[in-house]
Amino acid sequence: MTTATAPTAGIPVGPGLSMFDPIFLGIDEFGQPVYITLAYRNLLAGGEPGGGKSGLLNTIAAHAALSADCRLVLLDGKLVELGQWEDCADAFIGPDITAALDVLRRLQQVMNNRYAWLRAHGRRKVTALDGLSVITVLVDEIAFYSATIGGKQEQEEFVALLRDLVARGRAAGIPVVAATQRPSFDIIPTSLRDLFGYRAAFRCTTPNSSNIVLGHGCAEQGYSATDIAPTNQGAAYLIAEGGIPRRIKVAYLTDSQIAGIADYAAWTRRPSRLSAPTGSRLDWEIAA
Amino acid sequence: MSKSSPRRSFGRKSTGTVTVIEAKVHRSSARNARMAFILSAVVIGVLATVVATSYVHPIIALFIGAAIGVPCGALAWLLVRIWPVLRLLWWWTPEIVLTVLSLTAWVQLANHTPTIVTLAVVAIVLGVPAAIPAVRRQVVAWVWCLIVRHRLRVCFAQFIVANQSGSLPLILWAKPTPVGERVWVYLRPGLSLADLEGRLDKIAVTCHASSVLVERASDGNAAYLRFDIKRREVLTATVTSPLADVVTSDIPATDRPTPVVPTALDLPDVQAPTVTLPVQQPKKPATTSANGSKPTAAQSTDADDVSDWI
Ligand SMILES: Nc1ncnc2c1ncn2[C@@H]1O[C@H](COP(=O)(O)OP(=O)(O)OP(=O)(O)O)[C@@H](O)[C@H]1O
Ligand SMILES: [Mg+2]
Repeated sequence: MTTATAPTAGIPVGPGLSMFDPIFLGIDEFGQPVYITLAYRNLLAGGEPGGGKSGLLNTIAAHAALSADCRLVLLDGKLVELGQWEDCADAFIGPDITAALDVLRRLQQVMNNRYAWLRAHGRRKVTALDGLSVITVLVDEIAFYSATIGGKQEQEEFVALLRDLVARGRAAGIPVVAATQRPSFDIIPTSLRDLFGYRAAFRCTTPNSSNIVLGHGCAEQGYSATDIAPTNQGAAYLIAEGGIPRRIKVAYLTDSQIAGIADYAAWTRRPSRLSAPTGSRLDWEIAA
Repeated sequence: MSKSSPRRSFGRKSTGTVTVIEAKVHRSSARNARMAFILSAVVIGVLATVVATSYVHPIIALFIGAAIGVPCGALAWLLVRIWPVLRLLWWWTPEIVLTVLSLTAWVQLANHTPTIVTLAVVAIVLGVPAAIPAVRRQVVAWVWCLIVRHRLRVCFAQFIVANQSGSLPLILWAKPTPVGERVWVYLRPGLSLADLEGRLDKIAVTCHASSVLVERASDGNAAYLRFDIKRREVLTATVTSPLADVVTSDIPATDRPTPVVPTALDLPDVQAPTVTLPVQQPKKPATTSANGSKPTAAQSTDADDVSDWI
């Protein structure tokens, strides 16, 4: 799959990043860098169309792709938002709910196996020293799978599987990052939405929508994503480690930067290298 | 004067003289000075007497003790009385030191070099930082740090009611941030983070800033706070990820199979019957002739405004 003509001078070295490292997201309102650690957390990004949610997902995907201990599972109804990472990803699902359900079922199985493995070792969560890969699940536009394509039954199954991943995947090293334009209950059941620990609210049109993303009562305390100027794409309120919403500006990767990182990551992940990591005992194979 | 007498009206712009000690503070300062005198005179006197008894007769030792204790007490009294002045000097230490240094430098320069050289040196010392934008910005940022510490003190002294004795919070160091300044403050009894949070807008006005944030600087000590003074907005800048720079550009490009380029990119190219609908469209016979994904999407937006929340 990769080319055999590696340049003799300056072969790129493998990435030194890990999913257990803090991920650079952008800057806060004081110009200080903002990092989040995603390995044990789930992140939900919400906000109006064009707010910058996919920009956030791409920034996270870039870190994940460059992390040697990470596998990417991408679900992108729009195909183009995460499409450039296809070569680094173990599964890339477009607008196809059957494929989405398949990959979620596989993930569920992996998760169950990992918990069984943890139990066998008398442990409670996966750590960086286990050599297990962190399987980062990125879903752009949940609503597309949970409310748009497929039949009622499939949509419900999708939500149920995703909720299970979000609820139990954390300690097994399967973090979920999801983006949606509006996480109200008709798009995403409240039972699923409330499980996401980290929230990022991009510009919202009403204080109510902002509250739906950030949590009840945030707008009243002065944290309302309606303050963000429509022209200031990529600015968001982030609730992460600190617990209180922080204003941040998400780092933005241009298409060519993404292409560069994706090529590099694909090169470092070429099959000969990642085919048999320690995690392979869980029979997770490169997706077809 | 009664306890509730307006201390503000006492010493400010009444006369030409500058009164550094306010009424209430003045009273308590006199009392404190007396206490300091008595305490230190007695303690030091007794100690001196005890030590002296082992060398001389106790009566003489008593006199020696008094002779040592009284001057020490007087010194303590003096220190407490002039404490407000000392405090004022302390507040302005950076400015005083800077002024003294630059004046000394100027005088030395003027005495030891001809006028032309003096002027040239001054022109270089002042002109180069002014001409290089990065240096100029840094200097301006430091100047703001000096200013903002005084402005914060003005806030505390003017409208943030402190405690009975009128002691002000300790304003520690300040450092420039990309949006303004960050100042660390150690509160004295009588104030809390919550008191300050209600007054941030006034503090911002006093500091000539756009907004001010205050947060705890230490988990273990509620008195140790951090003020973030914002004068500029950084969130409108475009941030780039450092990851783009760490990858080398001479990566062997990934061999991708050339994808089938889709056709039918305009509306006339797509005839109504060619749209294949998802088979799982349970109960929408009326809309099935249109676009496969539309009906449910429209449905969800309809429901949006009706029920925002569960
Ligand atoms: N962090 C950012 N900094 C600067 N510009 C940004 C940033 N994020 C997004 N943008 C700009 O905003 C545009 C839309 O962003 P993006 O595609 O991420 O929005 P979105 O929230 O995913 O929208 P949708 O809901 O329609 O998918 C981008 O094309 C880009 O030009
Ligand atoms: Mg998007």
